[in-house]
Amino acid sequence: MKPISRRDFLKVGGLALVGAAGATAMTQVNAKPHNHEQHHAPSQHGHTEGPGTGEVDHEKNGFNPTDTLTDFDYGEVSTLPNGQTLREYNITSLNKDIEVAPGITFPAWTYNGRIPGPTIRATEGDRIRINFSNGSDHPHTMHFHGFHPGVMDGVPGSGPGGLVEPGQSFTYEFDAEPFGLHLYHCHAFPLARHIAKGLYGAFIVDPPGGRPRVDHEFVMVMSGFDVDFDDENDFYAVNAIPFHYQNRPIPIKVGETVRIYLVNILEFDLLNSFHLHANFFNYYPTGTSLTPAEYTDTVIQGQAQRGILEFSYKYPGMYMFHAHVTEFAELGWNGMFDVTE
Amino acid sequence: MTQPTITRLSFQTFGLLLLPIILLAGVIALFLSTGGGLTLDSAAPVESLAIERYVLHPKSIDLHVRNTGPEDVTISQVVINAAVWPFSVEPSPTIPRLGKAVVHLDYHWVYGEAYAVTMFSSNAIAFNGEIPVAFTTPQPTGRTFWGFTLIGLYVGVIPVFLGIFWFPALRQLGRRTMTFLMAATAGLLVFLGLDTLAEALEFANEVPASFQGIGLIGIGAVATFLLLDAISKRQTEITGSESDRRLAIASMIAVGIGFHNLGEGLAIGAAYNVGEIGLGTFLVVGFIIQNITEGLGIIAPVLRDKPSFGRLAVMGLIGGGPAILGAWIGGYTPSPFLAVLFLAIGAGAIFEVIYEIAKLIQRDADKQSIPFTVFSGVLTGMMLLWVTGLLIK
Repeated sequence: MKPISRRDFLKVGGLALVGAAGATAMTQVNAKPHNHEQHHAPSQHGHTEGPGTGEVDHEKNGFNPTDTLTDFDYGEVSTLPNGQTLREYNITSLNKDIEVAPGITFPAWTYNGRIPGPTIRATEGDRIRINFSNGSDHPHTMHFHGFHPGVMDGVPGSGPGGLVEPGQSFTYEFDAEPFGLHLYHCHAFPLARHIAKGLYGAFIVDPPGGRPRVDHEFVMVMSGFDVDFDDENDFYAVNAIPFHYQNRPIPIKVGETVRIYLVNILEFDLLNSFHLHANFFNYYPTGTSLTPAEYTDTVIQGQAQRGILEFSYKYPGMYMFHAHVTEFAELGWNGMFDVTE
Repeated sequence: MTQPTITRLSFQTFGLLLLPIILLAGVIALFLSTGGGLTLDSAAPVESLAIERYVLHPKSIDLHVRNTGPEDVTISQVVINAAVWPFSVEPSPTIPRLGKAVVHLDYHWVYGEAYAVTMFSSNAIAFNGEIPVAFTTPQPTGRTFWGFTLIGLYVGVIPVFLGIFWFPALRQLGRRTMTFLMAATAGLLVFLGLDTLAEALEFANEVPASFQGIGLIGIGAVATFLLLDAISKRQTEITGSESDRRLAIASMIAVGIGFHNLGEGLAIGAAYNVGEIGLGTFLVVGFIIQNITEGLGIIAPVLRDKPSFGRLAVMGLIGGGPAILGAWIGGYTPSPFLAVLFLAIGAGAIFEVIYEIAKLIQRDADKQSIPFTVFSGVLTGMMLLWVTGLLIK
């Protein structure tokens, strides 16, 4: 064996009593102990064996990831004098305590009180008008990926829309182009913190005439939560709540065509990925082409990368989909399709 | 120093003594009801959770935690090696201040691997713990009990008795050499005392903040020092005999070394328990070599006397035996609190004994001129432990 001195020996003895965890000081506003949450502790994970925990209080959170899959927001539609379609949105940034995992409240920043923010959907060439108000106590912006004039970029230094102070508002207006799958997020600094706290959402621009019809269209925004503010994610998820689609599998039928709008806005980690079990999908990177670039079962996305997946199932059964960065999967980014005849 | 006048505790004096306490109660009541003009609502919840020990069963892990913060803590999520894991908490996930709970994970751990556990409170505060080497925690069975007894025997009892076996040989030495040996004993004890104190400080870091580890060291060490000093003075008053006095000092050395070995046993038992060490042959040999000097220390003051064999045996047991007790406690219920307390008592006892030996040596020095005997003796004692320590490495 390795020789150890008596000193080392005793030192080791000290270690044995386990490095005690000290109190972690937090700059957390509005966080008070919620007594009702204590009953979540024991496992009640759904259909699968393995990691995962029970349900969060979706009602209190104000959003449910099952609904997030399909609630495309086409805005308030009208026609401009020049014949162009106008889609108008009212979006407010809000501080909100979100139960991100059973029993754990995270002081999030949200667009319209939900994470991810509303899925903004338009057709290429539509006019987008976003009345953004900042109801939070920090300056925020909305920065869209896509074509737009510099003053609509939502980045500090780009004009009044570059930093919207608390209580202030700004209207972002631009034409939706190019067609594809895009995203929006806050671009106030410190950027990583503003994104990680929940200010992001998907922005879908359909090609004129739309994409081929499918039976199901789902939005999946991949992100994580750093609940103890050490610049490392503690939980990972699609559509904010870890293990949600593991506890509540997504029902589809054999042979039905499925299209997934997949966006990665994960902060702090370099990569994220999506792996589909027992199947292959056509992949359209950024959705800017109607011809698939790849036929695969796993894609990797860096932050702000996104793409469209199309597939259907041949056989009935429970099929997992998850980050094939398996660490993320076990920390929440894990879900199931429940395929029936 | 003493006041010659005797004052009776009159009713008036009693009232005056009570007055500040009544006023204090008033101030506290006022403060509690009004907040005293201070805004004391903290923006962030202050939570603290100490993982006191872990127990690995086949296919499951128990974490013994204590809430050391000012308010209740609710454990909401547990992550083990980067995986969210189902768990249960006994008696309740909400742990009151200074309350204890056991977090149970059905986790199929792998022998010899390391595990990092993060527990999240309902306020999303993370508490981390580590299992450096996973193996089934020994449960108190007859076999492990005997194992811990053997450990204590090897590191405590045997070396101390081996040291005592020098008694007949050392008796042949001259008076001056005996003084030198006493000085060497003082040196040994200084080294051991520092070692014990350092150990106590190290354990103090692991004691939950509300138990004030450093203060505990002060209480244990100072109280022991003063208590032994008082006992020694009382004994001098009663007997006065020089040889009785030396025997008393030898006994006190045995007590001091006993507490030191108790602390050592605690540390070894705890380390053995969590698989941080295996007691290798080499290590045991190292312990015997170093601790043999402790036996030498016990007999040094009584070399010129004729203590009975029984008396020597008792002193050997007092000095070495506690290592067994320590190994049991450390092995089955490791507690940083107890470790700090015992080590502090050991340090206090050891330093008091050094003080007693110094007084003995001073008497010898008054009778004959020994300018460098003390210097070389103390240094030899310290170097002896230092060098044997080097050899073990």
